[in-house]
Amino acid sequence: MKFLKKIFDSKRKHFTQGGRFEKLHPIFEATETFFFIPGIVTKNDAHVRDSLDLKRLMSMVIIALIPPLFFGIYNTGFQSNIASGLPVTFIAVSLKGLRIVLPVIIVSYVVGFFWEILFASIRKHSISEGFLVTGLLFPLTLPPTIPLWQVAIGISFGVVIGKELFGGTGRNFLNPALTGRAFLFFAYPIKMTGGAVWTVVSNVNSSGVDIFSGATPLAVSAVQGTASFIESLLAKAGFAFPKLFFGLYPGSIGGTSTLMCLTGACLLIFTGIASYRIMIGGVLGVLVAACPGYIMSLVSGNSTVPMLALHPLCHLVMGGFAFGIIYMATDPVSAPGMNTAKWIYGFAIGFLTVLIRIFNPAFPEGVMLAILFMNLFSPLLDYFEINFRLKKRVPNV
Amino acid sequence: MISIRTKKGYKLNIAGEPSHELEQLGRPTSVALLPERIPFVKPRLKVKVADQVKVGSPVFEDKRNPDLVFLSPGGGRITKIDFGPRRAIKEIVVELDQDEGYEAFPIFNEAQVENIERQMLVKAIMTGGLWPLFRELPFRDIAAPDSIPPSIIVNLDANEPFQPMSEVYLKGKIELFEFGIKILQKLSEKLFVSTSRNRSFISDQINSYVTHICERVYPADDPGVLLYHIKKSPDENRAWYISGQDVLLLAMLFKAGKYPVERTVVIGGALVRGKKHLLTRIGAPLSHLTKGRTDKTEKARHIVGGIFKGYKGGKDSYMGFYETSLVLIPEGGEKEFLGFARPGFQKSSRSRAFLSFLNKSALPMDCNCHGEERACINCGFCAQVCPVDILPQFTYKCVLVDEIEEAIDHGLLDCVECGLCTYVCPSKLELCNVMKNTKKACYLEQL
Repeated sequence: MKFLKKIFDSKRKHFTQGGRFEKLHPIFEATETFFFIPGIVTKNDAHVRDSLDLKRLMSMVIIALIPPLFFGIYNTGFQSNIASGLPVTFIAVSLKGLRIVLPVIIVSYVVGFFWEILFASIRKHSISEGFLVTGLLFPLTLPPTIPLWQVAIGISFGVVIGKELFGGTGRNFLNPALTGRAFLFFAYPIKMTGGAVWTVVSNVNSSGVDIFSGATPLAVSAVQGTASFIESLLAKAGFAFPKLFFGLYPGSIGGTSTLMCLTGACLLIFTGIASYRIMIGGVLGVLVAACPGYIMSLVSGNSTVPMLALHPLCHLVMGGFAFGIIYMATDPVSAPGMNTAKWIYGFAIGFLTVLIRIFNPAFPEGVMLAILFMNLFSPLLDYFEINFRLKKRVPNV
Repeated sequence: MISIRTKKGYKLNIAGEPSHELEQLGRPTSVALLPERIPFVKPRLKVKVADQVKVGSPVFEDKRNPDLVFLSPGGGRITKIDFGPRRAIKEIVVELDQDEGYEAFPIFNEAQVENIERQMLVKAIMTGGLWPLFRELPFRDIAAPDSIPPSIIVNLDANEPFQPMSEVYLKGKIELFEFGIKILQKLSEKLFVSTSRNRSFISDQINSYVTHICERVYPADDPGVLLYHIKKSPDENRAWYISGQDVLLLAMLFKAGKYPVERTVVIGGALVRGKKHLLTRIGAPLSHLTKGRTDKTEKARHIVGGIFKGYKGGKDSYMGFYETSLVLIPEGGEKEFLGFARPGFQKSSRSRAFLSFLNKSALPMDCNCHGEERACINCGFCAQVCPVDILPQFTYKCVLVDEIEEAIDHGLLDCVECGLCTYVCPSKLELCNVMKNTKKACYLEQL
């Protein structure tokens, strides 16, 4: 520790004004503050400060992301080995998963940090911790077969267009990770949708491939067919509710397991870092949007839109809804700041997710679009609630 | 008695709580006036260095209202007048004589106070040098003598860590307090007396005076918070307030005909040995209060007036006119290795992001910011603690883009300057300071 301090103290002069690497000061600062909380003291009142800073806050989000991340690694390896007909022991599967997922995460971090550092150097401010979360959220939403160059392009778009163009952390109105993913989704639809992208098949000659259908539950549900059969259709494809809940099925790297996302949600809500209002609002939104269609198809026994007949609870565990509403929608910068606005925002995300899933099967992953759409509305929601609040205040002018 | 429920605010559990014991301190060798610490005053000196003054001799007056005089808290010789930048007067030091002379002021008994005209009473308090004890919301300047306030709020106990407790400074002085209340009743028809401690002392001794019971979170006790919760129309905004201890000073002035200089001060904080209440005088040197109670080796910050609202005093500076608390905590300029990743069992935080949420004991704190300044991420922690329901994260942005009207609509002037928003901010923004400075600018613009 003393040794590290000495290194930083001796090298600092190169990175300060007039030093050789003056332009790289943000890197130096970011590295130093990673190891040492700086000894800045309060200049005026309040003389003491809460121990919580952005580094801690963002590390809590990262800790909350560990369950879906680890499970995602396991699941990716598991699906890949099943499809390739390889052994599915824990170690083999984990190693396989690591081999697939780790490069994606590394590329996301490295490329993203390049942009962060570039903008921090030009703007002469320090590197914000927010990217630590963005850089991990983004890969977890991707299919495991994603080519690495697309990861690089996606995170670049997310960071540069989604965040830095608007002034950096705190000023972005879209969630940068989702912006990047949406870009990939529309720019390279073949790599982002369909049945084939969700599983890495490493051994093409194996017999496992033949019996393996790579479709995700969302794709299965969207298939045209008789509505009353949708659940049996899902069950036939191996997607019963428990399976969807636990998440051992092909899908995006981190988004399949609702259970793991819920674990993270508990931590986020307990520490008070993410808003429970958004999460619960989102769940309510899904249920409210999905129930009428479900009841209708129960009564009529028939429907032209198969998704309508899906049990509302299935909507909650399918696709990336849990991941999106827990980790993406609760990004404080792009979500509204007011409490009622948060309820409405969450509710609208849930509602829109189901609407998109039901009425637009071309975009099976509704939650991403719903969140981005509501991101746009969050300043407006805030505006209305603040104005409403101010009317109740006794003026003091 | 009305209970005021404030959902917001925060109870800081910091180590160094003083005891209820009261120790009478000896005479200091010098006392001082700090014009710099008196809000919005433009001092014009009435003394020079080497002048002799008595207790109660005018030392300076306000240029805006020469009737507003500030009197010497000690009898002796003026030894130093310390000017800061732009010739702002920082300190006027009086070296005390062995026997101090006292200026004489008229004595009033209760019947006389009962019958005196309000104007005469105001005049008597002004010449007695105690008018500055009345402060006016929302800007917290000294109350305008010629106006009649909608109400006067007396706050007996401050919830800010380490402030004098009413059961200590009122002990044996109930009669004086009652007399002081009579004076206040003369000044305004509506008088609110608030406390946050529903203890036996209150209920036994002064129950009939207490009108409001606040919750025991900081800053539920603040007059601004009380006003925010009880006001029904904008006419009530300009209420006056005075602290419980200052009511005693008023009474002493009228009873004894002498300028009162007695003050009960609390000394607390982790670096102080023998944390307790001290009976000393207005303007006493900090070194007089800390003598024998602290180890000189440690780098201590002397906070005068409270952890949240107070100011940083130099080791050899003096207590101000209003301040009743001296807190010594470590300056805390050390870097912490991998600080963000530690479990933090000892790290005080309002959030539950540290294991300290399991730790119910009072935690040691220093003046470290625990992080660097970052952009606001709209986490809303500040709005969760703001006692007067301002949305500091939005109001702050209004101020930064010069939308002062909008900031005022948001309730900027209701801000009680408690500093909690600054305290909780994970981006380490100086929210409260921005609000305070904006309020100040608004006030100066009005003049």
